[in-house]
Amino acid sequence: MEAQIKTTVPDTSRFQDFWGIFRKNYMGLVGLIMLFIAIFVAVFAPILSPYDPSSTQDVTTSDIYNAPSTSHWLGTDDAGQDVLTNFIFGARVSLTIGFFAAFISLAIGGVLGIVAGFYGGRTEELLMRFTDIMLVIPDLPLMMVIIALTKPSIFNIIIVIGALYWTTTARVVRSQTLAVKSRKFVLRARAIGAGKGHIIRHHILPLVLPILVVQAVLVVSSAVLAESTLSFLGLGDPTALSWGQMLNYAFGRGAMSTGAWWALVVPGFGIVWVVLGLTLLGQGLEQVLNPRLDTHHLMPSRPTVKSEAAQRSSEKSLLEVKNLSINYINEGKQPARAVENISFALKKGELIGLVGESGCGKTTLMLGLLRLLPAAGQIVNGQVYFKDQEITALSDDELNKIRWNGVSIVFQGAMNALNPVRTVGDQIAETIIKHLPDFPKEKIPARVSELLELVGIAAEHKDHYAHQYSGGMRQRAMIAMALACDPEVVIADEPTTALDVMIQAQILELLDDLRKKLGLAIIFVTHDLGVVAEMCDRVLVMYGGVTAEYAEVDAIYNAPKHPYTQELLKAFPDLTKPKKKLSSIPGYPPRLDALPDGCRFAPRCPAAFARCHTEQPILHELSSTHIVSCHLVEASK
Amino acid sequence: MKRWRYLLGKISWSLFTILFVIILNFFLFRILPGDPARAGVRDPRLTKENIEAIRVRYGLDKPIINCFESLNPIKIGSCAVNPLDTQFFIYIGNLLQGDMMISFHTNRPVTEMLSERLWNTIILIGAGQILAIVFGVLFGMFSAWKARTAIDYGSLTLSLVAWSIPTFWLGVILLFWGSNNGMPIAGMSTPGMSSYPLLSQWGDIARHMLLPTLTYTIVYMGEYMLIMRSSLLDVLSEDYILTAKAKGLGVFQILKDHAIKNAMLPLVTIIAINLGFTVGGVIQIETVFSWPGLGMTIVEALNRRDFPVLQGAFLLIAVSVIVANLLADLAYSYLDPRVKAE
Repeated sequence: MEAQIKTTVPDTSRFQDFWGIFRKNYMGLVGLIMLFIAIFVAVFAPILSPYDPSSTQDVTTSDIYNAPSTSHWLGTDDAGQDVLTNFIFGARVSLTIGFFAAFISLAIGGVLGIVAGFYGGRTEELLMRFTDIMLVIPDLPLMMVIIALTKPSIFNIIIVIGALYWTTTARVVRSQTLAVKSRKFVLRARAIGAGKGHIIRHHILPLVLPILVVQAVLVVSSAVLAESTLSFLGLGDPTALSWGQMLNYAFGRGAMSTGAWWALVVPGFGIVWVVLGLTLLGQGLEQVLNPRLDTHHLMPSRPTVKSEAAQRSSEKSLLEVKNLSINYINEGKQPARAVENISFALKKGELIGLVGESGCGKTTLMLGLLRLLPAAGQIVNGQVYFKDQEITALSDDELNKIRWNGVSIVFQGAMNALNPVRTVGDQIAETIIKHLPDFPKEKIPARVSELLELVGIAAEHKDHYAHQYSGGMRQRAMIAMALACDPEVVIADEPTTALDVMIQAQILELLDDLRKKLGLAIIFVTHDLGVVAEMCDRVLVMYGGVTAEYAEVDAIYNAPKHPYTQELLKAFPDLTKPKKKLSSIPGYPPRLDALPDGCRFAPRCPAAFARCHTEQPILHELSSTHIVSCHLVEASK
Repeated sequence: MKRWRYLLGKISWSLFTILFVIILNFFLFRILPGDPARAGVRDPRLTKENIEAIRVRYGLDKPIINCFESLNPIKIGSCAVNPLDTQFFIYIGNLLQGDMMISFHTNRPVTEMLSERLWNTIILIGAGQILAIVFGVLFGMFSAWKARTAIDYGSLTLSLVAWSIPTFWLGVILLFWGSNNGMPIAGMSTPGMSSYPLLSQWGDIARHMLLPTLTYTIVYMGEYMLIMRSSLLDVLSEDYILTAKAKGLGVFQILKDHAIKNAMLPLVTIIAINLGFTVGGVIQIETVFSWPGLGMTIVEALNRRDFPVLQGAFLLIAVSVIVANLLADLAYSYLDPRVKAE
C-alpha cells in the first residue's frame, strides 16, 4: 500500500544501531537481564552460597527435609544438605551443559546449513533430506536410548544433545545462505573469481551470523531443558548435581510424601528462570532482526474527528467528498498528512479519474471513503456523503450496509484480494447472501454464472480457486464480485496495473460498457493519465496528498494549469504529435512524514519561485468546474 | 493426477524414513558399547555356558550381516553366509511378522507388552492434544484479534512462561498439589475397581487422567497459542481480509469465513512436526504420574536394562510419529486447495 510509513531495517553489522533498537525491546531486555543474573550466580557460586556443597560432615538424619528456616533459607534436601547451596551450584552444571551442547549443535547445524545452501544441487538435496529424517525422529527417546547404552556422564550428555539438536539451525541457516547467495556482492565476488572458501568466510558468514546468534539462544534453552529432563529421568551424571538431578533425587526419595515442597519447587524455578530468560531474549532478538508490524485489517480504526459540516453542492450528487483530510498517526512522531482537504462529487453514470504518482495518497483517499483505513489512519477533517448519509458519522453496522451494496471496490493486483482457500464463485455468492437477503437462494448460482459471464469468464470457472485463474481473469473476477450487489458506485483502484496491454484494454472497455449499461458511477484510480483520457468525465490530479488540479477532462488535457499536470502529460505519448519528446519528472513525491513547508510540488516544479517554497497555495476556483492549487494561477489572474 | 503423485511421493518418503529408523534402531543397539545380552543380564552367577545359551536364544551368536562377524570393522567375517541367516535379516524378517523379541525382564513377547500399553498412551496424547489445540487456538485467535492490547501482551507472556516450564516439573507440582487434595496420585485406575459397574470404572479412569491431561494441556497450549497468534496475524494483514471488510462483512463473519481456516493450515503442519517433541513430553508425564503407557515402559526398560523392550518401544514410537506426520500431510493436502491443483 502506497501510504504505508516506511520502517527502517536495522543494519545489524553495526552494533550500536542494533543496540539502539534492542534496548527499546522490553522482552529482549528482560530476557538478557535474566540470563545475566543466572550466569552471575553460576560464576560466583562459591561466594554466594551459604554452605560448602562438598562438606557432608555433621549431617544427621534429623537434617533431612528440614523446612526453610533462618539457617537454611530454602530448607534441606534428602541428604540433609542446604537446598539453596545446591541450587546455586546447580546453575553451574545446567548452564555448562547447555552452552557446550548448544555450541556443538550450532557448529553442526551451521556448517550443514551453509554447505547445503551454498553448494546446492545434489549436496543440498542429500543434506536436507537427512535433516528432514532427523527432524521426524523423536529426540528424547533417542537420547535416552543412546545414554542408556553408553554411560550417563556430563561429557556424554553434552555430545548427545549437541549431536541431535542441530536440525532447526541447519534449516534456518540454509535458507539464509540461499537468500544471501543471490545478492549482488556475492555474485560479483564469484564473477571476479574469488574462491569458495573466501566467499563463505567474507561474504556469507557475516550475514548468516545474526541468525546464528538467535538460534544459539534458542538452542541453549532447549539444551538446558533436555539436560534437566534426562537427569530427572535418571540418566544424568550422578556426580554432578544439576537442577534436574536435584529434582530426580527429591522426587525419587520421598520429598512428595514428606511434604518437602521446597526441594521440588526450588530447582524447577531455576530451570524456568534460565529457559524463560533465553526464550524472551530469543524472541526479542528475532523481533529486532525481522521487524514486523503487529497490525492488521480487523484492528479497531481510530475515531473520526468530528468537523463542522460544509455545505453540499446544490446539485444532488451520488457521492460527495467535502474537505476530506486523513492522517497516519505514528506514536511519538508528527502525524503523516497523507490526504489533505480533498473535495469532489460524483453523479450517476459519471466516471472520475483520480490521477497521481505512487505515494500521492490515492489509495489512502479511496480507503478513507469507506473507512477502510489501516489502524494508524485517521480521518481528521471533512465529510463523505453517500446519497443522504454521511459515511464518517455512521455506526459500523450502518456502514456495513453501504459497503459493497452501495459502494464497492475493485482492488489492485487482484492476486491477494481473493481468498485462496475458497472458490471464486463462493466469494461472489457471499456478498449476495449478505446484502440481498431476499434474493432467492436457489437462484444464486445462476446469478454468479451470469456475473462471471458479464466480465468474460466462462461460468464453469466459478468453482475454481484464485490460483487457477490467470492475472487478467482474477482482475475480471474481482470486477464481477464488485458488481454482484448492483452497487451505485464502483471504486476501481488501478485495476489494470501489472496486466499486459491487451487485457488492460479489455478491462477498461468492460468498465466503460458497464457504466453505460448499468448507469454505474466509477472512480478510477490510476497513475496513468493516458488510460483515462477517453472515458473520464472529470479528473482529479493529486500530488503529495493534496489536490493539484480538478477539472473537466478537456481542460486537463488541453489547458492544464498546474505544472504537475503539465509534466504528467509530457510523460505520456501523444498520437497527434508523434515527434514530441517524452520526458519524466525528476525526483520523487515527498515523504508524507517530511512534507515541505510551501507547495508540496515546489522541490520538483520547473516553474517554482521563492513564494512556492514558503507558502502553501490555496485552492483557486478558476471556474465552477476547474480548481487549481498553484501560486502561478493567482499571478496570472 | 498431480495430487496422486504428491501423495505417492509423501508415502514413499515416509516408508524410506521408517526403513532408516529400523536400520538405525538395529545398529544403535549393536554399535554402542556392551553386548546387549551381557548388559541385560548382569548377574555374576552366570557361567560362560549360561551366557552362551542366552546369546543363542536371542540370536546373538549369528553374524551381524554378511562379511561382518561383529561391528568391529577390523574383524572381517565370512561373506559366504546365507544373508537370511544373519542377525540383520532375521531382525527385519521378524519385524515383518510383528515379532520384536522377548523381554529380558518379563520373558514375554515385546510386541504383546507394547500393544497393551500403546492405547493408554494414545488416550493420554489424544485428550491432551485436543484440549491443547482447542484452547491454544482460541487464545491465539483472541490474542491476534486484540493485537497490541493488554489482553494480547498478557496472554503472550503467559504462553512464553508455559513454554519455558519443564513438563516433568509441572507434573511434579500438580501431583504434589493433587496428593494434598485427594486426587489419585498414580496409575490409571484404583486397584479393585474391576468389580464395580462399568460407569464408575470409567469415572475412576477419568479422575486418574485429570492431572496428566492438565499437565499436557498447559505445556502445549502455550506453543499452539503462539503459533496461532502469529499465523492469524499474517492472515489478517492479507489483502483478502481487506476485501472481506470492504464487502461489509462483520468482524465475526470475517474471522469465521475468511481467516480461521487459512490460519489453521500452517498449524496442521506444525502440529505434525511437533509430534516427535510431544512424545518427549508424554514420556515425562507418564513417569511422573506412573501412567502405564509407552513412556513408562521405556523408562522402566531403561532402569532394568531390558534392551528388547527399549528397542521395540523406540521403534514403535518413531514409526508412530512418522505415520502421524504422513497423516497430517495428507490432511493438509485435503484442506488446502492449492496443493490439490499444483
